[in-house]
Amino acid sequence: MSEYILQLKNISKYFFGVPALKNINLELRKGKMLGLIGENGAGKSTMMNIIGGVIKADEGSMVLKGEEYQPDGPGEATDAGITFIHQELNLFTNLSIEENIYISSFPTIGRLPVISKGAIRTKTRELLDSIDLKLSPDILVEKLSPGERQLVEIAKALSSKPDIIIFDEPTTSLTARETKKLFELINKLRDQGISMIYISHILDDVLNLVDDIVVLKDGEVTDKGAKQDFSIQRMVSSMVGRDLEQMYPERTSKPSNEVVLEVSNLSQSGTIHDVSFKLHKGEILGVFGLMGSGRTEMARIIFGLDPYESGEIAVDGKKITKSSPQNSIRNRIAFVTENRREEGLLMHSTILDNIQLVSLREYAKTILKIVDSKKVTESIKDVVKMLKVKSGPVEKTAPKSLSGGNQQKVVIGKWVMAKPKIFMVDEPTRGIDVGAKYEVYTILNQFASEGSGVLIISSEIEELIGVCDRILVMSKGEIVGEFSASEFDKERIVGSAFRQNVRC
Amino acid sequence: MSARKNPMDTKLQENPEKRMFRIPDLRQGIKRIMVSEYFVLYLSILWFIVMLPVIPNIASSRNLNNIFDFIWPLLAVCVGQTLVLLIAGIDLSQISVIGMTSVIGALFMSNRIDPNVLSDSPLWGTVISENGGIMANSMWAVPVGILMMLLVGSLIGLINGYFIAKLKMPPFMVTLVTQLFVYNLAIFLTKSNNIIGIPKAFTEIGKGKIGFIPVAMIITIVLCVLSQLLLSKTVLGKWIYAVGSNVKASVVSGVPRDGVIMFVYAFSGFCAAFASVIYSGRLEMGRPTLGQTLLMDIVGATIIGGTSMFGGKGKVLWTFFGVLFFVLLTNVLNLFNLDTFTINIVKGLIILLAALFDVIRTKIQANDTKVEKAGA
Amino acid sequence: MKRYLALAVALIMVVTIFAGCGSTKAPDKAAESKSETTAAKTDAKKEITIAFLFQDLETEFWVAGHKAITETLKAKGIKVIERNANEDANKQLEQAKDVIAQKVDGIIIIPQDGESAVAISKVCNEAGVPIGVFNRPPSNKDAKSLVVVANNEKIAEQAVGYMAEEAKKLNKKMKPLIMVGDLGDPNAVGRKKGFYNVIEKNPDLFEKPIEVPTKWDAPTALANLKSAMQANPNVDFIFTSSDFLYPQIKSVLEPMGKWKKIGEPGHVMLAGLDGDSTAGRLMDEGYVDATGVQDLYYEAQALLDAMLDAISKGDKTPNQWIDDPGFALTQANMKDRRLDMWGNKLRKDKGEIK
Repeated sequence: MSEYILQLKNISKYFFGVPALKNINLELRKGKMLGLIGENGAGKSTMMNIIGGVIKADEGSMVLKGEEYQPDGPGEATDAGITFIHQELNLFTNLSIEENIYISSFPTIGRLPVISKGAIRTKTRELLDSIDLKLSPDILVEKLSPGERQLVEIAKALSSKPDIIIFDEPTTSLTARETKKLFELINKLRDQGISMIYISHILDDVLNLVDDIVVLKDGEVTDKGAKQDFSIQRMVSSMVGRDLEQMYPERTSKPSNEVVLEVSNLSQSGTIHDVSFKLHKGEILGVFGLMGSGRTEMARIIFGLDPYESGEIAVDGKKITKSSPQNSIRNRIAFVTENRREEGLLMHSTILDNIQLVSLREYAKTILKIVDSKKVTESIKDVVKMLKVKSGPVEKTAPKSLSGGNQQKVVIGKWVMAKPKIFMVDEPTRGIDVGAKYEVYTILNQFASEGSGVLIISSEIEELIGVCDRILVMSKGEIVGEFSASEFDKERIVGSAFRQNVRC
Repeated sequence: MSARKNPMDTKLQENPEKRMFRIPDLRQGIKRIMVSEYFVLYLSILWFIVMLPVIPNIASSRNLNNIFDFIWPLLAVCVGQTLVLLIAGIDLSQISVIGMTSVIGALFMSNRIDPNVLSDSPLWGTVISENGGIMANSMWAVPVGILMMLLVGSLIGLINGYFIAKLKMPPFMVTLVTQLFVYNLAIFLTKSNNIIGIPKAFTEIGKGKIGFIPVAMIITIVLCVLSQLLLSKTVLGKWIYAVGSNVKASVVSGVPRDGVIMFVYAFSGFCAAFASVIYSGRLEMGRPTLGQTLLMDIVGATIIGGTSMFGGKGKVLWTFFGVLFFVLLTNVLNLFNLDTFTINIVKGLIILLAALFDVIRTKIQANDTKVEKAGA
Repeated sequence: MKRYLALAVALIMVVTIFAGCGSTKAPDKAAESKSETTAAKTDAKKEITIAFLFQDLETEFWVAGHKAITETLKAKGIKVIERNANEDANKQLEQAKDVIAQKVDGIIIIPQDGESAVAISKVCNEAGVPIGVFNRPPSNKDAKSLVVVANNEKIAEQAVGYMAEEAKKLNKKMKPLIMVGDLGDPNAVGRKKGFYNVIEKNPDLFEKPIEVPTKWDAPTALANLKSAMQANPNVDFIFTSSDFLYPQIKSVLEPMGKWKKIGEPGHVMLAGLDGDSTAGRLMDEGYVDATGVQDLYYEAQALLDAMLDAISKGDKTPNQWIDDPGFALTQANMKDRRLDMWGNKLRKDKGEIK
């Protein structure tokens, strides 16, 4: 027996003649963790789908536990001891934890087609205990936080007693604390002898967790080796194919003293309490907070998507009386929501339809509201060019065919068209690769330098420190801290989010 | 890109069978036809050509006339349904709007009403009498009657829209209740009797011709063209597609969701009333039960055209093809002299196939984008 | 490129249709040239095709009517195309246009109602296809058609007349009651008229009749009959304008001790109109004295004869009103005419009677 539990040998895959993977060789050591990194579209998903039996390789072979491995469908992969933890949670929110875990193989009473509730409960409790999740098995999943859901996913994966677990961006929707807990669990699983593949964009995490690293670029392995030999620099340059001098672009302008957005004593019971702050022209203001701290809710209220009970919102010193998305757009406020798929994009429409949506009215001045499609297409092409969206023709390509980074650029482009003077972005770089992140920061910088106020909500503190002039910290619906650029300190900001410090 | 492609090409030449170089080409062709927006038109033409030797009668001038007679009113209702499906809704009340507006029109326009038939109506003596309807024998009777029909149709639709948009009730429920309510109101107003004595100027809209061209065809095509322009050229049209594709994203982008929904349902009612003008004209009466059996035809023909029930995808042109195919299909089944039950079973199966086809098409398109992604 | 091809094909289709429209302006020429080949074939044995469009078969009466027509047609060796409109008038109109396109020689319809009979007849007149309307008369005479309708007045007269003759034998003055139909329906009006014709002819025999409105609705009939009988317990002569109300009559009379067979003391003389299977059964059992019968078989025969006559003469828009005088099936003529009543024929087909 070799030291490898899983080996991929010369795997290639073509989609209608276009190569997605080329001669991939990859080894997973028994009881070890392999980090897999690469930009979106590098072929990570294709590779995982081949291992998971979702699609078949056109060339090459796989060896699992010393034997030829040719899975025919995901079921066989599970039987062979390989399970997945996906980026998007695949739980049924309307079912309980135990029902979710056993959905595919309910234990029955004897041979009767009756579900044995007792057996499910005991087994689920054991599983939850083994991952230190102190929840009752009959709680509905919709009541759980994203972090807890992720752990339930892992419990579900463990229920099939796997030899290999594949994690695909497991921390995307988790808070720092939940992430920490997840990592503890992952280390524990490794101690139990389970082999794992870990896919992530967060290079720090990869470097901390894994034993070996494989870098994919354009369907080829460009770099691999033991973790000790890797640095963030090396990872990035192997991924991107060039050296990124830095993660964040240089600020080219200074904020002015003019206030563009003023929020005073804004409250809505259950979400935010007594929130007040000012956003200046040309300023990039960061809002940091944990999941459920009210940061997203605050932005939604300011934009007019949700109601508020008391307080005031003023744009350019003018109080807003009737708050609605339409009014906000008229006041030149933009809002890039945190969830691209659900609230940002018309996935199946064209890029053109997406980008023009906010500013349609401005391109239709006649009484009949007929859109000047020539003019609008020209403007959109300018925007797409400016944002460097990599796509087919905008009239034909749908966002669903784009990578995460390009999708995000389309969402931003929609707001760029409306020429905002207040630009609110919620988790603008979630799930997009390093190169695209850099470009997003550059766009926001550019807006600030043109005099707009930018408000960034993020749970990645490095990102905020890298791009902001000032950072507000929210916790439990209140602003609990404010840091200016000179005071930026990762420990203190995160600490204040956990309410270890009172307002500075 | 070219640098990446080259090694691929050599590989293909080395081992063409393994890459299935030829077969995908043919498959691609079939696929392209399947995802083409003219697919249903091709299908209709194919159906026509295949059936021609079996039943030569299909091409007789009178039969073609019939086909192009039955299309127009059905097309008019289906245009309304298309818009509703575009926002991922459904309008089950259209069939009752047809009957109700048929009665409304007659109440305004009828020139003679038999007291033996309608003296039990709650409207007798106030709105209608032996001397006919409200505007009996007036030169304005027909325009006012049509206007009132369209108005009432739109109003019923608007009420649907209000409940769906403002009270966030499921469209299926709301329009089902409206269907029942409006139908029974029409029955109540007339005690289930037909109102005759409709002026000739009105019946000519359903039956008349200008030269060789039926009036119904002219007005329906105008309706279609205007609807398509509305959808493709105006802000409102883009909003309709946006709401159907992703409501949440549309609201964030400042689309007035409630207004769009209310407009669409009102328009759906308008189209039903429009069809009612043609149907009522052809039957020369105001008929409370008019249209009651049409629901399957309306939804079926629209879906066959390719408009998706999941919203965001559809065109008036597709619906035209769908109605054409549907009418052609029914016509052939009739020419085979099959009984009603068999015809309905076959129709049902075809509609089911169309719905299935919608899913397959979506999948093919999804796969194609996967390819793009892999190539990118 | 494909786009233009598709549009071109569509355009050609449309053009052919307009060409078609043009040629219909001279229908005879087009029809002749087209039918020449078929005419040659069918010359030896001129097969006649008749389309039979019916609204639905919702009651026993229409089932019997449908049967009478199809059987008569088939007996003559005529090819029949049947269409059920499922109670949709517009569908029936489209079906008529469809069969006209199939070049049928004639159309027989059971229309949804008198108004749609007119609309469909107009279409047939324009196309030059003879049309026969069965049992539901057109609501006006705007269009030309062969119409066969039961003469309700005469039929009622015959049934009530038999009862009057029987009553005379009892040598007492009768207290008559009539269950009146919905007077919006010409059938109900005719039946009422026939009843009064007999009553007025025998002023010595009858007291003033009691009228019970039914609106053709069973619960209404039941309630009204109950109160009428309570107010006038001496009623001994009941005529119902439709046979379908017998169950209601029975449930009122029985508790009063008045549901008795003929010849038993306390028998209330009973007669109705239609001739359905319930009436047939009650006559067999001896509860009912007479039933006015719409002679469906005569109607089918008469309509078809008129139709074939028109076809052979080349009359494309025959216009004729055929009256069905009907007959009364009575306890006296039961032996001879029992199976002429359609209700009894249905019973025979079901094997209920021989």
